[in-house]
Amino acid sequence: MTDDTQHYSKLNMDLLEYQAKELFQKVGIPILPSQTIHDIGELKRLHIPYPVVLKSQVRAGGRGKVGGIRFVENTIDGIAAASAIFNLPISNEYPEVILAEAHYDSQSEFFLAIVLDYQLQSPVLLGSSKGGMDVETLLQNMEKVVLTDDFSAFHARHLAVKMGLTGELIAVVSDIVEKMYRLFLSADLDIIEINPLGVKNNGEVMALDGKIAINDSAIARHPDLYLWTNHQLNFADPLRWLKGDIKSGEIGLICNSYGLALSSWDLIREQQGNLAGALILEDDHPNLFLVNQLELALDKMRELPKLKVIFMNILGTSETSETVAEAIAQYFQPAILPKSDDRMTRPTGAISLGRERSPIKENSHLEYVPIVIRLVKGNLEPFQEKVSALPIYWNSSLEQCIADVLSLADSKN
Amino acid sequence: MKWQPDSKVLLQGINHPLGAYYATQMKDYGTQLVAGVSVGKGGETLGDIPVFDLVEEAVHQFGIIDMTVILNPAYEVLDAALEAIAAGIKQLIIVSSGVPPLDMISLLRKAETSHTFILGSGSQGLLIPDKLSVGTLDVSSYSHGKVGIISHCDALTDDIARELTQAGLGQSFVVSLGTDGLIGSNFEQWLQVLEEDEQTEVILLLGQPNSNGEMKAADYIASAIEKPVIGYLAGRYATLDKHFGDSTTIIANQLSQVFPAINSVQKTIIAFENAKIPVTKKPWELPSLIKTALNKPKLVDKENS
Repeated sequence: MTDDTQHYSKLNMDLLEYQAKELFQKVGIPILPSQTIHDIGELKRLHIPYPVVLKSQVRAGGRGKVGGIRFVENTIDGIAAASAIFNLPISNEYPEVILAEAHYDSQSEFFLAIVLDYQLQSPVLLGSSKGGMDVETLLQNMEKVVLTDDFSAFHARHLAVKMGLTGELIAVVSDIVEKMYRLFLSADLDIIEINPLGVKNNGEVMALDGKIAINDSAIARHPDLYLWTNHQLNFADPLRWLKGDIKSGEIGLICNSYGLALSSWDLIREQQGNLAGALILEDDHPNLFLVNQLELALDKMRELPKLKVIFMNILGTSETSETVAEAIAQYFQPAILPKSDDRMTRPTGAISLGRERSPIKENSHLEYVPIVIRLVKGNLEPFQEKVSALPIYWNSSLEQCIADVLSLADSKN
Repeated sequence: MKWQPDSKVLLQGINHPLGAYYATQMKDYGTQLVAGVSVGKGGETLGDIPVFDLVEEAVHQFGIIDMTVILNPAYEVLDAALEAIAAGIKQLIIVSSGVPPLDMISLLRKAETSHTFILGSGSQGLLIPDKLSVGTLDVSSYSHGKVGIISHCDALTDDIARELTQAGLGQSFVVSLGTDGLIGSNFEQWLQVLEEDEQTEVILLLGQPNSNGEMKAADYIASAIEKPVIGYLAGRYATLDKHFGDSTTIIANQLSQVFPAINSVQKTIIAFENAKIPVTKKPWELPSLIKTALNKPKLVDKENS
């Protein structure tokens, strides 16, 4: 059993290394001199001395193993390496930025992280004196301190001592952990990780890599950080998606709760239905009435290339059901609605945004994409009548709706 | 948690777009919803109840308030909850979802020291058919009967309950735990409540199959619950919870980029199988599963079955 949906927020709320390091710098975690490279030309204006490490800025791990991290000694090599890196997709992500960093010789490497543990309902400090690429050894030496109380510096010292550190390193490393925690708290992080923290024999430490993931519920209260997160999760996109196989999915869902969407999704997949995705309407959306969300959702569904059927499963009061039914009847009027005063007298919850609804294009194959609608209450007949000529199937039984959806998706159009 | 049909209830954040609607729904059902709170709306009436600027003002007017329902926007929930705790309210039902986890941790720790009960965040509340509805559950979907429902789903709860009601299988008690990553009370507490509740003969567990809570619930049911339990898990193919597992495991998986051989969905389902909890993939089969469970002879030795 595989997970169909992209963990849309898991990926999008991860910062890139150079962004994480910018935040490190703000709280005083030492980082190397570096420069972000957006195109090859910028390499000619490098202001850090060679040798330099060029690092692909992508969210996936394991960059080193696939050639996403290269050591270069001069401009010519640098340009060649950067070129290769810009063209190297790692887990389907092409870098838009390369980080050029000064070289650093460390004698040891530590691993440090702070993770929000949802099971323990606490942040957890994690550390290993064997940081770096050898994951097995790293994990074998992993120590942890659970923050059941509010954080204080002694918790960080506790971690350092557990890690086996002695002498000055205890204070040096716990100082880094304190700063990491400050960031963790102030930026609502789920994870902050430094691997490796380079350590020199003289006690100097350096964050050689950085990973930060911001909690997706909290991101909206950090508008500056929001700008950094993956632009695919477009703040301008007013509707929430559960994305399946957008490119070749044949079935689209429109629901007004995640639970309904998940439930319908499971039922369809059990019968091998091919889902493009689900749009989730919110009853208490800050900007859009349900009806307007519905219209947007239908527009978006019609953009899906292989769509064969839409299933709308919307739960609510009789009033909600009737409003939805009316919205559907209006949406499928075969012409642009006139902007007459007549619209104001209808008792709907819809407020016109002054937006012309796009007419069903005659040459669009999606003109007659069948829709199966599940509404369980209300007097829907007047609206059902209006669209009786169209392939719209109304049923309050979930079992029947799923069967209809699957058979419509199967049928040859 | 303590509740009586005449428990006094407050509604914070009543200026929510559906605030007045929820208020009226609760009052019409018989809940003693005495007041609402919304900054700047003190002195007004919404949903037929008086509104105050501060929780303390409502308590001053109506005496001790037993429960509050919080509808405030997600980033204002911690503050609203702290205000309620400071005013002596001991039971908080947080309907708002998307409350940042660090806020919830802060709140849960405060709740522990002040002996405050928290349901949610992301909860639709609690409903005892024909007696009390505290929250936003759609009361028309529920009727009095023998099925206790503990739900970790959202509005899907109403949908499933309506199917049961229509099949003549009313409910004894309904509680919605909340869909956020960090929630106040868990399955175990409510399983115990329903185990001891005389009205409840069958327990229906609605959940999501890649959640730690569900797995622990299955184990708890196997060891501590005698009443029959039926399960429905939505989200086998499309998952929402991104926080499965403890911190070390999360880091380990991320570092090794190895996806665990048995994924979390399967783990949950296996846990339910091991606990011998019938789980259906089709919600419309729930009525017949529940009827079967109701008709089973009650003395079943769990260890030998």
